[in-house]
Amino acid sequence: MMQPRRTEAGGSRVVHVMQGGYEASALPGDMFTTILGSCVCTCLCDPEAGIGGINHFLLPDTGGSTSRQLHYGLHSMELLINALLKLGASKDRLQAKLFGGAMMNNRLGGIGRANAEFAQRFLENEAITCVSKSLGGTLARRIRYWPTSGRAQQLFLRADTPALIEQRAKPILKGASDDVTFF
Amino acid sequence: MTLTVLAIDDSRTIRELLKEALLQAGFEVHLAIDGLDGLEKLEGLAPDVVITDINMPRMDGFGFIKAVRDKGTHSALPIIVLTTESAADLKARAREAGATAWIVKPFDEVKLVSALRRVTAA
Repeated sequence: MMQPRRTEAGGSRVVHVMQGGYEASALPGDMFTTILGSCVCTCLCDPEAGIGGINHFLLPDTGGSTSRQLHYGLHSMELLINALLKLGASKDRLQAKLFGGAMMNNRLGGIGRANAEFAQRFLENEAITCVSKSLGGTLARRIRYWPTSGRAQQLFLRADTPALIEQRAKPILKGASDDVTFF
Repeated sequence: MTLTVLAIDDSRTIRELLKEALLQAGFEVHLAIDGLDGLEKLEGLAPDVVITDINMPRMDGFGFIKAVRDKGTHSALPIIVLTTESAADLKARAREAGATAWIVKPFDEVKLVSALRRVTAA
């Protein structure tokens, strides 16, 4: 499993969230970062509890919407929401911000849109309010997110950066789908 | 004979995914949004098997399993836990509460159906 990069700055954590990863926190000094091409990140915050988190996912490009494809995004969302609930957040108070889903090149254009559509449909299905979003376009994004306040900062990256990002991007499905235990 | 499944999950997206997969596999499917809703629906439906999530508001999966077993009237009802959790202590807790099986999400439709057939086999 790929571990997020962590650095400590004045007692606060700065955590870089990789593709397939997620992070949650109730510590006011924490800040999460991620870099997105066609991937999407969901930033969720319960502002009343001061608890928030971020995920970073990429659906596999199967040429259409299949249930297997949806598992990638769905699992990432579930892991993030469960982490927030364990910290004391309430699902009905969660507010979302969405970023990413860029069309990085012709080959990956469809998957960026699929990622963005999945994330929006998921939030609508789960009755989670999306307070802001920046989806699509052709540029990669660097996101900074302060989980306890829900503040987010977006920086578009240079046009030659995306290729480097997309070369590394492979859908990651964490979990153990083979894990069936009979008692 | 068509088997009836009661699937309990607080995520509407998961419920829809489960319903689609299980209908395609030939099950009759009923849905509940959390443990309390599941308990209420259990009485009217008399399902052959229950699938339940663990992390849910109002009543979680552990509470649901314990409440079902405490009733005494559903002692033989197979209950499959379907969750993102995989920790050994949580599995042990579910076993003690009376769960029949534990499947870690993301679920594979074929394996889920296979597990349902196995726990409902006479």
